[in-house]
Amino acid sequence: MDSDQELIELVNQGDPDAFEALYRRYRDWVYRLAWRFTGNQQDALDVLQETFTYLLGKFPGFSLTASMTTFLYPVVRHISSTIRSKSRRFTSDEEILGELTAPALKDTQSSRSELAAVLTVLPDEQREVLLMRFVDAMSLQEIAKALNIPIGTVKSRLHHALKRLRQDRGTQDYFLE
Amino acid sequence: MTEKKGHFDEDLDLRISPKLSEDLNTLFKPQFSVPPELDRAIMDQAERRLVQRHWRHRIFHHISLWRVAAAAAVIIFAFSLNLTQEHGPSTSRTVPVKAQAVDIDRNGRVDILDAFKLARHIESAESTDKSLSPVLGTGQALQKQGWDINGDGLVDRNDVDLVALSAVRLDKNKGVL
Repeated sequence: MDSDQELIELVNQGDPDAFEALYRRYRDWVYRLAWRFTGNQQDALDVLQETFTYLLGKFPGFSLTASMTTFLYPVVRHISSTIRSKSRRFTSDEEILGELTAPALKDTQSSRSELAAVLTVLPDEQREVLLMRFVDAMSLQEIAKALNIPIGTVKSRLHHALKRLRQDRGTQDYFLE
Repeated sequence: MTEKKGHFDEDLDLRISPKLSEDLNTLFKPQFSVPPELDRAIMDQAERRLVQRHWRHRIFHHISLWRVAAAAAVIIFAFSLNLTQEHGPSTSRTVPVKAQAVDIDRNGRVDILDAFKLARHIESAESTDKSLSPVLGTGQALQKQGWDINGDGLVDRNDVDLVALSAVRLDKNKGVL
């Protein structure tokens, strides 16, 4: 399988198949992130399309200096913010979590709804780093680059987020050996 | 709000249970997948743009090459003209040299031997007649041969120089009379 760099080189030479391979590789990642930022499917699909249109506009002459996710994360976040403000269908990830903690859900998915409840009370910065690490599968270096913050700050935020999950009675079961 | 920062230079324990990882991913997983129509739309857009840009880039590249080649040809031509003028006869010898007139030995070629031959004729004429003025015998004979190349009424060293110059020029152009 070609690396991202190899695919980018091919797209720079005008190869649409290489672009399709890149798209297939990152489509679900971008869509999930967009859905988390916008909170609804239609906006997430718009963000997905605009993100890849933006990426397409970078060719030819595009060179990747970090990982693809590090490049895409701020793009998805910015486009999501623009689309959210246009569409007024605003639902933050906090609101998504709020829906998940509703009593009807609690009965059937108690541990998950407890987790959602704890996540809603985490500061935004800590929740974002936690989700980037464990949902978006980004390394600490990638998170630091994508958010343009020092790696020490990433570690600090992650440490506090995990500490809160460990200490909360609703989520401490996740950390029992 | 101020952010608490600790020292996290040591490796942060980032291990979480598979259950926590799974529940986080489930919480933030979009309920719908990306419709194939959107995939197709993005890929069509990519194909159109990449192919279009690729050809535009190639055509522009070719046009640029032709432009450079044409400019180079013009410069070389202008330079060679300039060289020709620089090496041309001085104002005292501005009469254009006819190629036929310098073929001293009448062998159909103008070469350095013609210059030598003319020089020898002049030398032998000088030994018999110190002056090569048009009114004098041997000089007049040389003139009748048509060897007054620069048309100044004298057959002398200047004419030899012109023959030599013609020989060099014609040799450069590989010219034969």
